[in-house]
Amino acid sequence: MKHWLTALILILGAGLLLPAQQFTVGSTVTDFELKQLDGKPASFSTLKGNVTVVIFISVQCPVSNSYNQRMIALYRDYSPKGVKFIFVNANHTEPAAAVEEHARQHNFEFAVFKDENNVVADEFGATVTPETYVIDSSGTLRYHGSIDNSQNESRVTSLRLREALDAVLAGKQPPQTETKAFGCSIKRAPRT
Amino acid sequence: MTRRHCLAALGALPLSALRAEPAGLTPLDEQAFRQMVAANRGKVLLVDFWATWCAPCREEMPKLLSLRVTHAKQNFSLVTISCDEPEQERGAEAFLEKQSAPFPRYIKRPKDDDAFINSIDPKWSGALPALFLFDRSGHLEAKFIGESATASIDAAIKKAIAEAG
Repeated sequence: MKHWLTALILILGAGLLLPAQQFTVGSTVTDFELKQLDGKPASFSTLKGNVTVVIFISVQCPVSNSYNQRMIALYRDYSPKGVKFIFVNANHTEPAAAVEEHARQHNFEFAVFKDENNVVADEFGATVTPETYVIDSSGTLRYHGSIDNSQNESRVTSLRLREALDAVLAGKQPPQTETKAFGCSIKRAPRT
Repeated sequence: MTRRHCLAALGALPLSALRAEPAGLTPLDEQAFRQMVAANRGKVLLVDFWATWCAPCREEMPKLLSLRVTHAKQNFSLVTISCDEPEQERGAEAFLEKQSAPFPRYIKRPKDDDAFINSIDPKWSGALPALFLFDRSGHLEAKFIGESATASIDAAIKKAIAEAG
């Protein structure tokens, strides 16, 4: 009995140490909650579309900022096709007011949400900005990775996110389901 | 030319010209990375992936250079690999120069970035800063992804040095 209890404690303890990532390519993305910049809650279930893109972005990260125009272009090109975009700022160092100012300065046509205490970033296992996820109509995660393969737009040779979106919209498998997202690390809230 | 003339001529040269090591950043792909790790066998090797656009990387660099000095007599080597884009290379070079970082100084230039990252550690997303610590046999001993406490890095280096005896 004592051994069983010890084993149970060890298993539970190990579970606490495991990363909280739940959503991997092929798994179902369950509902999660974000905050609008005015502090009001917003859930995935109300924001999602037939196809949904979740993109973790940053105010200060130069890599994320080098994608601002590309993200606006993606939003313009794919919103009419029924794709919903959820832009998320999970950096604890970037408060809602800074996110709002940044969005205004860069003429974002889309809403940006705060992920307080990086709960959603943890669920997706997101580590950098920008980092993207494509979710299909059944809620299955179909693509995870970068927007394309170069920070410098003139050297892009693979439009990874667009290719994934085109495939998922056509009911096909994306040519690449996992790519390496590159950029600045997400500044996570200190664990208490 | 007399010895005196030679010394006078050397005195007119900039300090960088007197260095035995090549200046600039050495491009590095998967193969070159493996060769670099192999060339450092017999030493505890800390590889620092960094970039000029990565603020935590810039903040960390002086601390790593300080660790290099601390463990200089213990067969410890620090190698820097910039992950900057070609147009940022000069900035990376200038930063390393200002920091007096050791030579050779590398810059990541693989044909396929994802393949390069996977060749080092499939679990690494490519996020920076990223530190990889190799033991004296060239085996990956520890890694530090993202902002890390210098004390933890130092402890891992000490452990690797102690293990080597």
